[in-house]
Amino acid sequence: MKLMCKNRKREEDTMKSLHLWNRRDFIAKPTVWLAASHLVGGFDVLFGQSTNAEPATAKAEASAKPIYRTLGKTGITLPIVSMGVMNAEVPGLIRRSYELGIRHFDTAAFYQQGRNEEMVGSMIKEMGVRDKVIISTKVLPPGWGFGPRAQTQQRIYSPAEVKAHFHEVFEGSLKRLQVDYVDILYNHAADSEADIDSEGALEALTALKKAGKARLIGVSSHRPEMALKEVMKLGVYDVVLTTINYTMADDQGMLKTIDEAAMKGIGIVAMKTLAGGPRRPDAKLDKPLPPASQTAALKWVLRHEAITTAIPGYTRYDQIEQDFPVASNLAYTPEEREFLSDKNVAAEAQFCRQCGQCRSGCPRGVDIPALMRSHMYAVQYSNRELTRFTLASIETGKGLDACGSCGACKASCRNYVHIGNKIAQLKALRPDIAV
Amino acid sequence: MSPKALIALTILLSRVPIAYTQQLQSAQIPAAVRERLSGLLPSPPPARATAQEEPAFYTSSNLYHYMDGAADVFQMYDVQALFHRDFKAVPMELTVDIFDMGTLENAFGIYAAERSPKYDFVTIGAEGYRDEGILNFFQDHYYVKLAGFGEGADPALQQFAAAISERVGGDKGFPALLSKLPDARRKPRTEKYLAKDPLGHPFLSPAYQAVYELDSGESTLMISVGASAADAASRMRSLEDHFRRTGQWNPAPEFGNAAARGSNSFEGSLVAAVSRHYVVILLNPSSNSAAFFQDAAARLQ
Repeated sequence: MKLMCKNRKREEDTMKSLHLWNRRDFIAKPTVWLAASHLVGGFDVLFGQSTNAEPATAKAEASAKPIYRTLGKTGITLPIVSMGVMNAEVPGLIRRSYELGIRHFDTAAFYQQGRNEEMVGSMIKEMGVRDKVIISTKVLPPGWGFGPRAQTQQRIYSPAEVKAHFHEVFEGSLKRLQVDYVDILYNHAADSEADIDSEGALEALTALKKAGKARLIGVSSHRPEMALKEVMKLGVYDVVLTTINYTMADDQGMLKTIDEAAMKGIGIVAMKTLAGGPRRPDAKLDKPLPPASQTAALKWVLRHEAITTAIPGYTRYDQIEQDFPVASNLAYTPEEREFLSDKNVAAEAQFCRQCGQCRSGCPRGVDIPALMRSHMYAVQYSNRELTRFTLASIETGKGLDACGSCGACKASCRNYVHIGNKIAQLKALRPDIAV
Repeated sequence: MSPKALIALTILLSRVPIAYTQQLQSAQIPAAVRERLSGLLPSPPPARATAQEEPAFYTSSNLYHYMDGAADVFQMYDVQALFHRDFKAVPMELTVDIFDMGTLENAFGIYAAERSPKYDFVTIGAEGYRDEGILNFFQDHYYVKLAGFGEGADPALQQFAAAISERVGGDKGFPALLSKLPDARRKPRTEKYLAKDPLGHPFLSPAYQAVYELDSGESTLMISVGASAADAASRMRSLEDHFRRTGQWNPAPEFGNAAARGSNSFEGSLVAAVSRHYVVILLNPSSNSAAFFQDAAARLQ
């Protein structure tokens, strides 16, 4: 018992120290944010408490040598910038990436109907660098379709069928990649607990790992907090590839879970680091995103040391040449700092699409889309009249009056809008709104 | 305030958020667009299928709600809207996705990006293909993707495709520039339209390409489409700047008066020349391919 207490104390101290560097590293703290005089403007949402402090890693002078990190407890070390090959159709991009120093290439059986794996395999073989790179690929479950899952894909597959499917597809991947093994094999697009816990997928992946055809196994998921928690619970997967970007700056639950997973030895690879790049947010902003937005977004992710590497997708040579130097220097330039300080970017980064999918997660039936609109009127439009009008139009018992009884907001947004934070911000504004 | 007035005011106020939401949705998918897309499906549906739920509509900005990362490539081809609906005729189930790609070029572009020469090609629309449980085709500015499961799915896919194609009407041809590419020695169904970043260079956008079996082996011919002769010249200069920075750039008179060869460690070599408002590019050229290159450039005059 004493040993357990001692270990737990050590674990808590380590977690505290991880969170301490978060404050220096410009991660938002909602309580601090709310207390700030820029309450409505949200200037600090991406930087947090201080905009002057620099993390230790960023103080180093820019050098050509990339920063390496270790992937969980796998022993594999990687430069912090890697290549997501998904949308690339030009083989030269892979070669150029390798020339510049990238050592991890991520693909999937589904990408370009297998042509993406073929391209990766051909280039790695042509360059003769198989032993110098880390190749990851992914297999989708059987019957996978675009979601909400098309009804044609809603047939229930038995664990045996799922297992057989994974084996069959993966054998195809090995052939296309022209390799005997991959370094990381992911259960692709595992966006629910059921996907991650899939008996058939787990059996297949663990068998392939045991056979030496996959050095490591993992899940790829668009739901980071769920995926990391489930992977920690299962204790089987080595790596999680998941969406992490600056639009999640004030999602403390997610950031804490990243730290926790990293501490438990889960290797974390970040995808969608550019939050869709110049396309999202796009039409909502007054002007196009500046070039610094790309490197700013990438640096924001990589300043989290719990993340081993990021796999931004490249389709152009200038993108690689722009992004890879980030691997050597994580200090923000003035232009990058300006981008992350833009209140419109911060607000737009959490733009409610009014899809209403969050409603079902609220036990009180709160009209969340209406509250998110109200927040938008208050914060982005600074229009108190419209904010009051919108709040007043909500059915009694379904507005701000209904919130507050829950310890933490139970609703979630698939577009990463932090509903609980926005509702808290609205409540804090209430005296000004005079509802 | 009287109860009646209160009720009236409540009704009025309750419509405001609805009106706003509808307004927001309309701003994203105008009613006319929804109507047009919905009208591409016959009523009643073919194959005695019945629709399940109301159709769903997506724009470029929220397409990822439906497709996650797969939305990226559609956005590269400037997708305008997606109409999605599920159908059932027990034991068969079928999904209809109709993408409004805005232009014939973009519809062909996304279609060609997804097709494989190994598929079973069918005469639907401008061209279509079948694979297990799917039938996809493009026609005019639409890209239609049908997926079916269960007994009777294959004939149902065919019926739906034919019905949609008839209602689409319009242009059943390929983009015009493809007819200017040399026919001889072209590998079937390797033609592509690259809306963004051809060869990894944004300044070459947009471009067409096709693969040819030449004496020296396989080569890719690319035609970068400029807005004007001056634009094409600018593109050529950008290509030169790139190769001078990363490798070599030298005149290639055997390929034509103004032709040049660029090469570097990661792209290999290519030959390029301006022809009217186009930049003609041949990847991995050999001296044997000079005549082919000059012919390709001449066809654009």
